[in-house]
Amino acid sequence: MIRPAQAASGALRQGLRAGYATAALVAAGLLAAAVFPLVAGGYYVRIVTGIYMFGVLASAWNLIGGYTGYPDFGGAAFLGIGAYTTGILLGQHHWPFAGALLAGCLLAAAVAAGMGVLLLRLRGHYFAISTLGFLLVLQQLAANLGITGGGSGMNLPVARSFTGFYYWMLGVLAVAVAVGEAFPRSRAGYALAAIRENQDAAQVLGIEPLPYKILAYATNAFFFGAVGGVYAYWFTFIDPPTVFNIDFSIQAVVMCLFGGPATSLGPVVGAIVLKSLDTILTNVSLFLHNVFFGALVCLLVVFAPRGLAELVRAPEGLWAAIRAELREHRI
Amino acid sequence: MFGRLTAVDRVDLAVEPGEIVGLIGPNGAGKSTLINVITGIEPPTAGSVVFDGQRLDGLRPAAIARLGVARTFQIAQPFRHMTVRQNVAVPALFRGRSAPRVSHALREADAILETVGLGPKRDFPAHALTTPDLRRLELAKALALRPRLVLLDEVMAGLTPAEVNEAMELLRRLHGDGLTLLVVEHVLRAVMGLCHRVVVLHYGRKIAEGPPARVTEDPAVIAAYVGTRAATR
Repeated sequence: MIRPAQAASGALRQGLRAGYATAALVAAGLLAAAVFPLVAGGYYVRIVTGIYMFGVLASAWNLIGGYTGYPDFGGAAFLGIGAYTTGILLGQHHWPFAGALLAGCLLAAAVAAGMGVLLLRLRGHYFAISTLGFLLVLQQLAANLGITGGGSGMNLPVARSFTGFYYWMLGVLAVAVAVGEAFPRSRAGYALAAIRENQDAAQVLGIEPLPYKILAYATNAFFFGAVGGVYAYWFTFIDPPTVFNIDFSIQAVVMCLFGGPATSLGPVVGAIVLKSLDTILTNVSLFLHNVFFGALVCLLVVFAPRGLAELVRAPEGLWAAIRAELREHRI
Repeated sequence: MFGRLTAVDRVDLAVEPGEIVGLIGPNGAGKSTLINVITGIEPPTAGSVVFDGQRLDGLRPAAIARLGVARTFQIAQPFRHMTVRQNVAVPALFRGRSAPRVSHALREADAILETVGLGPKRDFPAHALTTPDLRRLELAKALALRPRLVLLDEVMAGLTPAEVNEAMELLRRLHGDGLTLLVVEHVLRAVMGLCHRVVVLHYGRKIAEGPPARVTEDPAVIAAYVGTRAATR
């Protein structure tokens, strides 16, 4: 018979070993990522930077869509805010890039907090449509205001080194994944898990829902804004249809759901797999590339209408859950 | 009032600290509505709710919970995909000023689970629990709020006589530790055995109040439950 103390310290040692193993893996991954541009050509560095970018978006969306259960389709609005803020501060006021980027992130988060007070009172489809509406409004604003350069867009100063953007995107991704990892174990994470499971029960247990939903929404906006800022400097030119583009939102959603919203690395895996497939398809056939995401959304709707999260978490296993979904919707 | 339906009609209810008060009445008498009004889920159309000198009506449910008023639900409302332990840690984390850190909240949850008898099942997902265990979990979550008053909404429903005895024992122990209880119940044995005082509701009105033995002999109460002919026999 193992005494409880022995068993506990054994479990602790095992946990620590697993923790060391994970830390070692993470360190190795970061090292590999850090030296990658030194060994690979510019084309591949660009592709991987794009993968990092969608990794951030998928991870960020996970906070509001996955953990909180609010399907946000207007994330690109915050990407646009980040892009234009960085563009204006960097290009017109000659701020250093880091400062302009941070300002973009904070402004995006602040706008999200403000809009969240209104939007987060809606649920499900109504919330989704309202975020879409918000995105479209911002796109129009950007196209009609002088400060944003209107419909002709905005030019940013050309950066000296290109690989800088690879490292910027990698840095943002590392922060996004770290936040996604720490979040569910935090007090706010518990609050949102409770709210997602049963909001009424959560309320009588002392949880006031709106502030926590706003926190998730604003954090998601922060990272979309960060991507926007790096994207703007990277591509040197932005205009309303390019940055206030629903494609960013949709791809973030699909990648997150595909990779699995239950974990912090799931969305990143989704981004890696889908973006790689997407790139390969672009080289094979433009037609296939264009239908790729549309087809994927159709498949997800048919096989996982309540989202892959429910399937992944289903106690009876993935296949049984898919069969149950199909039966229920009489396909 | 819900539109033109008066669910609770001028009910005057007082609970002293340290009491166990029973709230009984036929189905539809307005008991659950009264609980919902006290805990802030429904706003009262008229009247007020006062707890330890502070008005509760108009406050949000989360604020009322943090002031020390906890409740269990008639149909258990666990966080189904969280473990039993995490379920109990949640209210501990959000009870307000005395709320601990996450790691401490989990340890506190373990202690509370021991008290209600769910210790061995602490790592079970909540959806895997039996009905009596779900009731224990509801109670454990209420206790994690460190409440002064607990509103129990039909905790004994569907329990076997042995389980009812266990539940009564547990509630007596908790009461001994200083908890005030308002017990909404249909299981008369529990009401007789636990309560110092019983209040009877019928069609939203209070029709009787007093020690359990006296109230259950009251013809008006018997009429409410079984019909007028039985009462006048």
